[in-house]
Amino acid sequence: MTDRDYLGEFEHIVILALLRLTDRAYGVTVRREIESRTKRDVSIGAVYATLDRLEKKGYVKSWRGEPTPERGGRAKRFFGVTAAGIAAANRTQQAFESMVEGLDLIGSYS
Amino acid sequence: MKRRSPSSEPPRLAAWIVPLFTPAELSEAILGDLHEEYLQLRLKAGGKAASRWYNRHALQTIVKVAASGFRGAPLSTTIAVVGGFLLLRFVHALPDKFLLAITDRYLMFWSGHFQTYLWVLRALPIEYFLGSVLVGFVVALAAKGREMIVTLTLGFILCAMAVAASVWIVAITGDTSFLWNVPLHFTDPLAIVIGGAVVRRHRSVGRLVASA
Repeated sequence: MTDRDYLGEFEHIVILALLRLTDRAYGVTVRREIESRTKRDVSIGAVYATLDRLEKKGYVKSWRGEPTPERGGRAKRFFGVTAAGIAAANRTQQAFESMVEGLDLIGSYS
Repeated sequence: MKRRSPSSEPPRLAAWIVPLFTPAELSEAILGDLHEEYLQLRLKAGGKAASRWYNRHALQTIVKVAASGFRGAPLSTTIAVVGGFLLLRFVHALPDKFLLAITDRYLMFWSGHFQTYLWVLRALPIEYFLGSVLVGFVVALAAKGREMIVTLTLGFILCAMAVAASVWIVAITGDTSFLWNVPLHFTDPLAIVIGGAVVRRHRSVGRLVASA
């Protein structure tokens, strides 16, 4: 990935959710964090498709947890943001803020 | 031995299908997440609501992950589908040519020749079916990680072609009896998908054993 790559909207949201959850970030908590903060319905598939893509880009790393009975004996896969992921999130956020700067979104365009 | 209530387990069909479409390294985590949320929802809203939620999220997961897999490698997926289509044409041409050549060459002067010829003709649908399963195997082996996307795409194309051809024939001839044969043309796509599912399942099990 080059240092000019920007995140898509949902990719950005997922990375921010991972940063909020720190070491508790796995599919269920990421999905719930996004749902509770954005008030939008999010499927587990959407979360994993995005996490898989971000991991291939090098923005996210993952590791296997221990199997637990409440998961039918299956292990969790925890996710964390890499330095490249944090840089990409900052870059995307700065681009977004510079586009919004000076616009009175609610007052002028509603 | 104490038996668990059937509703404490998530819908089996959905739980069986999800790993066919999800990357092997994520299957366990996805199924575990679905299971965890299913059990929590079952306590809050009951078994039926939890099962509905599970089926809906399993379907959404399949669609999202399959679409993501295609977007990740559109060229190799397309090549695998086209290659599978050409391979199917080749494989389907083999049984008639091979078996009829044998009966014509070696059994022509045998009194049971005609009976053998009829047997060969009767067995052709089975040979086509087995040939399609073989094509499903080969295509799935070539499309590692996207076995079900490739075999399902090929299956859908074949189904669409069968429906289009049948409608076209009916439009020309006016004989609607052709439409009754349409479901028969779905056996080859089904065989291809079965081949893909077998390969995918085998790979998933191997992966799980290796990671355990």
